[in-house]
Amino acid sequence: MNNMTILVVDDDPVIRRMLEKRLEKEGYEVLIAEDGYQARKILPQQHIDVVLTDLMMPGSIGGIEVLDIAKNLNPNIEVILITAHSSIDTAVEAMKKGAADYLEKPINFDELFLRLEKIANVNSIMRNAMDLSQAMDTTESAASETIQNLEIKTAELQNQIDMLETILRDEETSIYERIDKAIDLLTKQKIT
Amino acid sequence: MLKISPEELKLVAQYIHDISGIYLDQSKSYLFETRLGTIATEHGCSTYKELYQKAKAEPSKTIERKIIDAISTNETLFFRDKGPFELLQFKLLPELIDARTPSSPVLKTNIKIWSAASSTGQELYSIAIIIKELLPKIANYSIKLLGTDISDGAVAQASRGKYNKFEMERGLPGDKLQRYFTMFGDSWTIKDEIRAMVQFKKLNLMLPFVGLGKFDIIFCRNVAIYFTLPDRQKLFDKIADNLADDGYLIIGSTESLTGICPRFIPKRHLRSIFYQKK
Repeated sequence: MNNMTILVVDDDPVIRRMLEKRLEKEGYEVLIAEDGYQARKILPQQHIDVVLTDLMMPGSIGGIEVLDIAKNLNPNIEVILITAHSSIDTAVEAMKKGAADYLEKPINFDELFLRLEKIANVNSIMRNAMDLSQAMDTTESAASETIQNLEIKTAELQNQIDMLETILRDEETSIYERIDKAIDLLTKQKIT
Repeated sequence: MLKISPEELKLVAQYIHDISGIYLDQSKSYLFETRLGTIATEHGCSTYKELYQKAKAEPSKTIERKIIDAISTNETLFFRDKGPFELLQFKLLPELIDARTPSSPVLKTNIKIWSAASSTGQELYSIAIIIKELLPKIANYSIKLLGTDISDGAVAQASRGKYNKFEMERGLPGDKLQRYFTMFGDSWTIKDEIRAMVQFKKLNLMLPFVGLGKFDIIFCRNVAIYFTLPDRQKLFDKIADNLADDGYLIIGSTESLTGICPRFIPKRHLRSIFYQKK
Protein backbone atom coordinates (compact mmCIF):
# COMPACT_ATOMS: atom_id res chain seq x y z
CA MET A 1 0.00 0.00 0.00
CA ASN A 2 1.22 3.45 -0.89
CA ASN A 3 -0.03 6.17 1.36
CA MET A 4 2.04 9.03 0.03
CA THR A 5 0.30 12.07 -1.35
CA ILE A 6 1.69 13.31 -4.64
CA LEU A 7 1.10 16.70 -6.19
CA VAL A 8 1.29 16.56 -9.98
CA VAL A 9 2.08 19.92 -11.59
CA ASP A 10 1.89 20.06 -15.39
CA ASP A 11 0.31 22.44 -17.87
CA ASP A 12 -0.29 19.65 -20.42
CA PRO A 13 -3.76 18.16 -19.70
CA VAL A 14 -2.91 14.86 -21.42
CA ILE A 15 0.20 14.21 -19.31
CA ARG A 16 -1.63 15.40 -16.19
CA ARG A 17 -4.48 12.96 -16.77
CA MET A 18 -2.09 10.08 -17.53
CA LEU A 19 0.01 10.70 -14.42
CA GLU A 20 -3.08 10.98 -12.26
CA LYS A 21 -4.52 7.68 -13.54
CA ARG A 22 -1.31 5.69 -13.29
CA LEU A 23 -0.39 6.99 -9.86
CA GLU A 24 -3.88 6.38 -8.47
CA LYS A 25 -3.76 2.87 -9.84
CA GLU A 26 -0.56 2.34 -7.85
CA GLY A 27 -2.42 3.46 -4.75
CA TYR A 28 -1.04 6.97 -4.30
CA GLU A 29 -3.18 9.92 -3.28
CA VAL A 30 -2.97 12.36 -6.17
CA LEU A 31 -3.52 16.11 -6.22
CA ILE A 32 -3.43 18.08 -9.43
CA ALA A 33 -2.19 21.58 -10.27
CA GLU A 34 -2.55 22.95 -13.79
CA ASP A 35 0.44 25.25 -13.46
CA GLY A 36 2.92 26.73 -11.00
CA TYR A 37 0.42 29.27 -9.72
CA GLN A 38 -2.06 26.59 -8.71
CA ALA A 39 0.77 24.58 -7.14
CA ARG A 40 1.73 27.60 -5.06
CA LYS A 41 -1.87 27.79 -3.81
CA ILE A 42 -2.21 24.08 -3.03
CA LEU A 43 1.18 23.47 -1.37
CA PRO A 44 0.52 25.34 1.89
CA GLN A 45 -3.01 23.94 2.22
CA GLN A 46 -2.39 20.21 1.94
CA HIS A 47 -0.06 17.61 3.34
CA ILE A 48 2.12 16.60 0.41
CA ASP A 49 4.95 14.06 0.38
CA VAL A 50 6.14 14.34 -3.20
CA VAL A 51 5.79 17.02 -5.88
CA LEU A 52 6.06 15.79 -9.44
CA THR A 53 6.44 18.87 -11.59
CA ASP A 54 7.14 19.78 -15.17
CA LEU A 55 10.25 21.92 -15.47
CA MET A 56 8.94 24.26 -18.18
CA MET A 57 5.55 25.82 -17.62
CA PRO A 58 3.96 29.04 -18.83
CA GLY A 59 4.21 32.12 -16.64
CA SER A 60 6.89 33.00 -14.11
CA ILE A 61 6.45 29.94 -11.87
CA GLY A 62 8.24 27.01 -13.52
CA GLY A 63 9.43 23.75 -12.01
CA ILE A 64 12.44 25.37 -10.31
CA GLU A 65 10.18 27.93 -8.64
CA VAL A 66 7.79 25.17 -7.52
CA LEU A 67 10.83 23.39 -6.04
CA ASP A 68 11.81 26.52 -4.12
CA ILE A 69 8.27 27.08 -2.83
CA ALA A 70 7.91 23.46 -1.69
CA LYS A 71 11.33 23.29 0.00
CA ASN A 72 10.72 26.60 1.75
CA LEU A 73 7.43 25.36 3.13
CA ASN A 74 8.84 22.04 4.27
CA PRO A 75 12.33 20.70 3.46
CA ASN A 76 10.98 17.15 3.82
CA ILE A 77 8.81 17.45 0.71
CA GLU A 78 10.61 15.64 -2.11
CA VAL A 79 10.45 17.12 -5.59
CA ILE A 80 10.89 15.20 -8.85
CA LEU A 81 11.21 17.25 -12.03
CA ILE A 82 10.01 16.16 -15.42
CA THR A 83 12.21 17.51 -18.19
CA ALA A 84 12.72 17.40 -21.89
CA HIS A 85 16.10 16.00 -22.88
CA SER A 86 17.26 19.46 -23.93
CA SER A 87 16.92 20.89 -20.43
CA ILE A 88 18.94 18.32 -18.49
CA ASP A 89 21.47 20.96 -17.41
CA THR A 90 18.68 22.88 -15.69
CA ALA A 91 17.50 19.66 -14.04
CA VAL A 92 21.00 19.03 -12.67
CA GLU A 93 21.01 22.59 -11.31
CA ALA A 94 17.69 21.77 -9.65
CA MET A 95 19.21 18.70 -8.00
CA LYS A 96 21.80 20.99 -6.42
CA LYS A 97 18.96 23.08 -5.05
CA GLY A 98 17.48 20.05 -3.35
CA ALA A 99 15.37 18.23 -5.96
CA ALA A 100 15.25 14.51 -5.25
CA ASP A 101 15.47 13.45 -8.86
CA TYR A 102 14.50 14.21 -12.46
CA LEU A 103 12.77 12.18 -15.14
CA GLU A 104 13.16 12.63 -18.85
CA LYS A 105 10.20 12.84 -21.20
CA PRO A 106 8.60 10.64 -22.36
CA ILE A 107 7.95 9.39 -18.83
CA ASN A 108 8.96 5.82 -18.12
CA PHE A 109 6.46 4.79 -15.48
CA ASP A 110 8.47 1.88 -14.11
CA GLU A 111 11.27 4.31 -13.46
CA LEU A 112 8.89 6.78 -11.82
CA PHE A 113 7.42 4.12 -9.54
CA LEU A 114 10.89 2.97 -8.51
CA ARG A 115 11.89 6.49 -7.53
CA LEU A 116 8.68 6.96 -5.57
CA GLU A 117 9.20 3.69 -3.75
CA LYS A 118 12.70 4.78 -2.85
CA ILE A 119 11.39 8.04 -1.45
CA ALA A 120 8.72 6.15 0.52
CA ASN A 121 11.38 3.85 1.96
CA VAL A 122 13.65 6.69 2.99
CA ASN A 123 10.69 8.51 4.53
CA SER A 124 9.70 5.50 6.57
CA ILE A 125 13.28 4.96 7.78
CA MET A 126 13.51 8.63 8.71
CA ARG A 127 10.24 8.42 10.60
CA ASN A 128 11.48 5.38 12.45
CA ALA A 129 14.72 7.11 13.33
CA MET A 130 12.84 10.17 14.55
CA ASP A 131 10.53 7.99 16.66
CA LEU A 132 13.50 6.20 18.14
CA SER A 133 15.35 9.36 18.97
CA GLN A 134 12.19 10.80 20.50
CA ALA A 135 11.85 7.69 22.64
CA MET A 136 15.51 7.92 23.55
CA ASP A 137 15.17 11.57 24.57
CA THR A 138 12.20 10.74 26.81
CA THR A 139 13.97 7.81 28.45
CA GLU A 140 17.11 9.86 28.83
CA SER A 141 15.42 12.78 30.53
CA ALA A 142 13.53 10.52 32.95
CA ALA A 143 16.69 8.57 33.74
CA SER A 144 18.76 11.70 34.19
CA GLU A 145 16.32 13.12 36.73
CA THR A 146 16.52 9.94 38.81
CA ILE A 147 20.28 9.67 38.54
CA GLN A 148 20.89 13.31 39.39
CA ASN A 149 18.65 13.10 42.44
CA LEU A 150 20.50 10.01 43.61
CA GLU A 151 23.84 11.67 42.92
CA ILE A 152 23.00 14.65 45.14
CA LYS A 153 21.45 12.46 47.84
CA THR A 154 24.50 10.21 47.92
CA ALA A 155 26.78 13.22 48.30
CA GLU A 156 24.62 14.54 51.17
CA LEU A 157 24.68 11.17 52.90
CA GLN A 158 28.43 10.94 52.47
CA ASN A 159 28.76 14.37 54.01
CA GLN A 160 26.61 13.30 56.93
CA ILE A 161 28.70 10.18 57.48
CA ASP A 162 31.85 12.32 57.48
CA MET A 163 30.35 14.64 60.09
CA LEU A 164 29.29 11.69 62.25
CA GLU A 165 32.77 10.30 62.06
CA THR A 166 34.26 13.60 63.17
CA ILE A 167 31.86 13.77 66.12
CA LEU A 168 32.41 10.17 67.20
CA ARG A 169 36.17 10.39 66.93
CA ASP A 170 36.41 13.63 68.93
CA GLU A 171 38.47 12.55 71.90
CA GLU A 172 38.13 15.92 73.65
CA THR A 173 34.55 15.11 74.64
CA SER A 174 33.14 12.24 76.65
CA ILE A 175 31.71 9.21 74.92
CA TYR A 176 28.16 10.10 76.13
CA GLU A 177 28.42 13.60 74.80
CA ARG A 178 29.59 12.25 71.44
CA ILE A 179 26.63 9.88 71.23
CA ASP A 180 24.25 12.71 72.14
CA LYS A 181 25.72 14.92 69.44
CA ALA A 182 25.60 12.09 66.92
CA ILE A 183 21.95 11.36 67.65
CA ASP A 184 21.21 15.05 67.52
CA LEU A 185 22.76 15.26 64.06
CA LEU A 186 20.89 12.21 62.83
CA THR A 187 17.56 13.56 64.09
CA LYS A 188 18.11 16.95 62.48
CA GLN A 189 19.22 15.56 59.13
CA LYS A 190 16.79 12.75 58.72
CA ILE A 191 16.53 11.71 55.13
CA THR A 192 13.34 12.85 53.52
CA MET B 1 27.90 -9.17 5.95
CA LEU B 2 30.98 -11.07 7.11
CA LYS B 3 30.14 -13.14 10.20
CA ILE B 4 32.26 -13.02 13.35
CA SER B 5 33.09 -16.16 15.37
CA PRO B 6 33.03 -16.24 19.19
CA GLU B 7 36.82 -16.54 19.31
CA GLU B 8 37.23 -13.59 16.99
CA LEU B 9 34.78 -11.60 19.12
CA LYS B 10 37.00 -12.01 22.14
CA LEU B 11 40.12 -11.14 20.20
CA VAL B 12 38.65 -8.09 18.47
CA ALA B 13 36.92 -6.79 21.63
CA GLN B 14 40.23 -6.95 23.51
CA TYR B 15 42.02 -5.23 20.64
CA ILE B 16 39.44 -2.43 20.49
CA HIS B 17 39.74 -1.95 24.23
CA ASP B 18 43.54 -1.75 23.93
CA ILE B 19 43.54 0.88 21.21
CA SER B 20 40.62 3.01 22.39
CA GLY B 21 39.49 2.07 25.89
CA ILE B 22 36.05 1.41 24.43
CA TYR B 23 34.45 -1.69 25.88
CA LEU B 24 32.04 -3.35 23.45
CA ASP B 25 29.56 -5.90 24.70
CA GLN B 26 30.61 -9.26 23.27
CA SER B 27 27.06 -10.56 23.27
CA LYS B 28 26.26 -8.05 20.54
CA SER B 29 28.11 -9.60 17.64
CA TYR B 30 26.07 -7.60 15.11
CA LEU B 31 27.70 -4.46 16.50
CA PHE B 32 31.09 -5.77 15.44
CA GLU B 33 29.79 -7.05 12.13
CA THR B 34 27.99 -3.91 11.05
CA ARG B 35 30.84 -1.66 12.09
CA LEU B 36 33.85 -3.67 11.01
CA GLY B 37 32.51 -5.82 8.17
CA THR B 38 33.06 -3.22 5.46
CA ILE B 39 36.60 -2.47 6.65
CA ALA B 40 37.43 -6.18 6.51
CA THR B 41 36.14 -6.54 2.96
CA GLU B 42 37.81 -3.32 1.90
CA HIS B 43 41.18 -4.63 3.00
CA GLY B 44 40.67 -8.01 1.39
CA CYS B 45 40.27 -9.92 4.67
CA SER B 46 38.03 -12.95 4.67
CA THR B 47 37.91 -13.21 8.47
CA TYR B 48 37.97 -10.78 11.40
CA LYS B 49 41.09 -12.50 12.69
CA GLU B 50 42.84 -11.60 9.49
CA LEU B 51 41.68 -7.99 9.86
CA TYR B 52 42.97 -7.93 13.43
CA GLN B 53 46.37 -9.29 12.39
CA LYS B 54 46.63 -6.87 9.50
CA ALA B 55 45.63 -3.90 11.67
CA LYS B 56 48.16 -4.81 14.35
CA ALA B 57 51.03 -5.36 11.94
CA GLU B 58 50.48 -2.28 9.84
CA PRO B 59 53.02 0.47 10.65
CA SER B 60 50.94 3.25 9.10
CA LYS B 61 47.99 2.41 11.42
CA THR B 62 45.50 3.15 8.64
CA ILE B 63 43.28 0.20 9.51
CA GLU B 64 43.51 0.96 13.22
CA ARG B 65 42.30 4.51 12.53
CA LYS B 66 39.44 3.20 10.41
CA ILE B 67 38.42 0.80 13.16
CA ILE B 68 38.42 3.60 15.73
CA ASP B 69 36.32 5.79 13.41
CA ALA B 70 33.86 2.94 12.92
CA ILE B 71 33.39 1.97 16.56
CA SER B 72 33.33 5.39 18.19
CA THR B 73 29.77 6.62 18.37
CA ASN B 74 29.31 9.97 16.77
CA GLU B 75 25.74 10.59 17.83
CA THR B 76 25.82 14.22 18.85
CA LEU B 77 23.73 17.30 18.39
CA PHE B 78 24.03 21.01 18.62
CA PHE B 79 22.94 22.01 22.11
CA ARG B 80 22.25 18.36 22.98
CA ASP B 81 20.28 18.55 26.26
CA LYS B 82 19.47 22.15 26.97
CA GLY B 83 20.56 21.73 30.62
CA PRO B 84 24.35 21.91 30.37
CA PHE B 85 24.28 24.87 28.01
CA GLU B 86 21.89 26.86 30.17
CA LEU B 87 24.12 26.00 33.11
CA LEU B 88 27.13 27.32 31.19
CA GLN B 89 25.37 30.48 30.09
CA PHE B 90 23.60 31.49 33.29
CA LYS B 91 25.84 30.15 36.03
CA LEU B 92 29.27 28.80 35.20
CA LEU B 93 30.49 31.45 32.76
CA PRO B 94 29.24 34.43 34.80
CA GLU B 95 30.81 32.99 37.96
CA LEU B 96 34.01 32.21 36.16
CA ILE B 97 34.26 35.68 34.66
CA ASP B 98 33.82 37.22 38.12
CA ALA B 99 36.53 34.97 39.50
CA ARG B 100 38.97 35.41 36.63
CA THR B 101 38.70 39.10 35.72
CA PRO B 102 42.04 40.70 36.69
CA SER B 103 42.09 43.90 38.72
CA SER B 104 44.08 45.67 36.02
CA PRO B 105 41.98 46.63 32.99
CA VAL B 106 44.91 46.08 30.60
CA LEU B 107 45.05 42.41 31.41
CA LYS B 108 42.79 39.94 29.67
CA THR B 109 40.47 37.47 31.36
CA ASN B 110 41.72 33.95 30.66
CA ILE B 111 39.20 31.19 30.19
CA LYS B 112 39.99 27.65 29.06
CA ILE B 113 37.28 25.16 28.17
CA TRP B 114 37.78 21.58 27.04
CA SER B 115 35.31 19.31 25.27
CA ALA B 116 36.98 16.00 26.06
CA ALA B 117 35.07 13.84 23.57
CA SER B 118 34.17 16.42 20.98
CA SER B 119 32.99 13.98 18.30
CA THR B 120 32.09 15.98 15.19
CA GLY B 121 32.29 19.30 17.04
CA GLN B 122 28.68 20.23 17.77
CA GLU B 123 29.21 20.56 21.53
CA LEU B 124 32.24 22.84 21.25
CA TYR B 125 30.64 25.02 18.56
CA SER B 126 27.54 25.30 20.76
CA ILE B 127 29.81 26.47 23.60
CA ALA B 128 31.53 28.96 21.29
CA ILE B 129 28.15 30.36 20.18
CA ILE B 130 27.10 30.85 23.81
CA ILE B 131 30.36 32.65 24.63
CA LYS B 132 30.03 34.84 21.55
CA GLU B 133 26.53 35.86 22.62
CA LEU B 134 27.42 36.32 26.28
CA LEU B 135 30.56 38.41 25.81
CA PRO B 136 30.08 41.43 23.57
CA LYS B 137 33.63 42.65 24.17
CA ILE B 138 35.27 39.39 23.30
CA ALA B 139 38.62 41.14 22.68
CA ASN B 140 38.95 41.68 26.44
CA TYR B 141 39.13 37.95 26.93
CA SER B 142 41.61 35.28 26.08
CA ILE B 143 39.45 32.28 25.42
CA LYS B 144 40.78 28.88 24.57
CA LEU B 145 38.28 26.29 23.42
CA LEU B 146 39.73 22.85 22.81
CA GLY B 147 37.93 19.82 21.43
CA THR B 148 39.52 16.37 21.41
CA ASP B 149 38.35 13.03 20.11
CA ILE B 150 39.87 9.63 19.49
CA SER B 151 38.49 9.40 15.96
CA ASP B 152 40.49 11.04 13.16
CA GLY B 153 37.37 11.16 11.04
CA ALA B 154 35.42 12.99 13.74
CA VAL B 155 38.28 15.47 14.35
CA ALA B 156 38.49 16.18 10.61
CA GLN B 157 34.75 16.77 10.31
CA ALA B 158 34.73 18.94 13.42
CA SER B 159 37.57 21.03 11.99
CA ARG B 160 35.70 21.52 8.71
CA GLY B 161 32.61 22.61 10.64
CA LYS B 162 30.39 21.38 7.83
CA TYR B 163 27.15 19.54 8.55
CA ASN B 164 24.36 18.03 6.47
CA LYS B 165 20.72 18.88 6.94
CA PHE B 166 20.05 15.84 9.14
CA GLU B 167 22.83 16.84 11.50
CA MET B 168 21.46 20.38 11.59
CA GLU B 169 17.77 19.71 11.96
CA ARG B 170 17.68 18.63 15.57
CA GLY B 171 18.71 20.87 18.41
CA LEU B 172 19.70 24.07 16.71
CA PRO B 173 17.23 26.96 16.96
CA GLY B 174 16.49 28.64 13.62
CA ASP B 175 17.87 32.05 14.58
CA LYS B 176 21.22 30.58 15.62
CA LEU B 177 21.37 28.56 12.43
CA GLN B 178 20.89 31.64 10.27
CA ARG B 179 23.31 33.73 12.30
CA TYR B 180 26.23 31.34 12.65
CA PHE B 181 26.06 29.07 9.60
CA THR B 182 26.30 29.54 5.86
CA MET B 183 24.19 27.28 3.67
CA PHE B 184 25.67 25.72 0.60
CA GLY B 185 23.53 23.23 -1.28
CA ASP B 186 22.30 20.73 1.28
CA SER B 187 24.99 21.44 3.85
CA TRP B 188 25.74 24.12 6.41
CA THR B 189 29.16 25.46 7.34
CA ILE B 190 29.97 27.25 10.58
CA LYS B 191 30.99 30.88 10.04
CA ASP B 192 34.65 31.88 10.42
CA GLU B 193 33.99 34.06 13.48
CA ILE B 194 32.96 30.93 15.43
CA ARG B 195 35.36 28.56 13.68
CA ALA B 196 38.29 30.80 14.69
CA MET B 197 37.42 30.45 18.39
CA VAL B 198 37.94 26.70 18.56
CA GLN B 199 40.63 24.12 18.04
CA PHE B 200 40.27 20.37 17.53
CA LYS B 201 42.84 17.64 17.91
CA LYS B 202 43.08 13.90 18.33
CA LEU B 203 43.41 12.52 21.84
CA ASN B 204 42.95 9.06 23.33
CA LEU B 205 41.48 9.56 26.80
CA MET B 206 43.11 6.31 27.95
CA LEU B 207 46.62 7.72 27.47
CA PRO B 208 48.33 10.29 29.72
CA PHE B 209 47.22 13.89 29.06
CA VAL B 210 50.44 15.55 28.01
CA GLY B 211 50.74 19.33 27.78
CA LEU B 212 47.06 20.10 28.08
CA GLY B 213 47.40 22.33 31.14
CA LYS B 214 44.54 23.21 33.47
CA PHE B 215 41.05 24.00 32.31
CA ASP B 216 38.34 26.12 33.90
CA ILE B 217 35.50 24.04 32.51
CA ILE B 218 35.65 20.48 31.23
CA PHE B 219 32.82 18.81 29.33
CA CYS B 220 33.15 15.03 29.37
CA ARG B 221 29.71 13.88 28.40
CA ASN B 222 28.57 10.44 27.33
CA VAL B 223 31.97 8.98 26.64
CA ALA B 224 32.94 7.26 29.91
CA ILE B 225 29.85 5.09 29.50
CA TYR B 226 31.80 3.14 26.88
CA PHE B 227 34.63 2.41 29.32
CA THR B 228 35.01 -0.21 32.04
CA LEU B 229 34.81 0.89 35.69
CA PRO B 230 38.60 0.89 36.28
CA ASP B 231 39.10 2.89 33.09
CA ARG B 232 36.44 5.39 34.19
CA GLN B 233 38.17 5.79 37.54
CA LYS B 234 41.50 6.50 35.85
CA LEU B 235 39.88 8.90 33.39
CA PHE B 236 38.14 11.09 35.99
CA ASP B 237 41.23 11.10 38.18
CA LYS B 238 43.22 12.53 35.26
CA ILE B 239 40.43 14.98 34.56
CA ALA B 240 40.61 16.16 38.18
CA ASP B 241 44.34 16.75 37.68
CA ASN B 242 43.63 18.90 34.63
CA LEU B 243 40.83 20.96 36.17
CA ALA B 244 41.50 24.26 37.96
CA ASP B 245 40.81 24.08 41.71
CA ASP B 246 37.68 26.19 41.35
CA GLY B 247 36.86 24.79 37.89
CA TYR B 248 33.74 22.95 36.77
CA LEU B 249 33.19 19.49 35.32
CA ILE B 250 30.09 18.59 33.34
CA ILE B 251 29.27 14.96 32.59
CA GLY B 252 26.36 13.42 30.70
CA SER B 253 22.94 13.88 32.26
CA THR B 254 22.52 10.15 32.88
CA GLU B 255 26.06 9.62 34.16
CA SER B 256 27.21 9.44 37.76
CA LEU B 257 30.56 9.82 39.51
CA THR B 258 29.45 7.94 42.61
CA GLY B 259 32.00 5.24 43.26
CA ILE B 260 34.12 6.54 40.40
CA CYS B 261 35.92 9.63 41.59
CA PRO B 262 35.86 10.79 45.23
CA ARG B 263 37.70 13.98 44.31
CA PHE B 264 34.53 15.56 42.91
CA ILE B 265 31.35 16.69 44.62
CA PRO B 266 28.10 17.18 42.72
CA LYS B 267 26.27 20.50 42.90
CA ARG B 268 22.83 21.29 41.63
CA HIS B 269 21.75 24.34 39.70
CA LEU B 270 18.11 24.34 38.61
CA ARG B 271 17.64 21.11 36.69
CA SER B 272 21.32 20.43 36.05
CA ILE B 273 24.24 19.04 37.95
CA PHE B 274 27.87 20.04 37.74
CA TYR B 275 30.91 18.88 39.67
CA GLN B 276 33.66 20.69 41.50
CA LYS B 277 36.77 19.47 43.22
CA LYS B 278 36.54 18.93 46.96
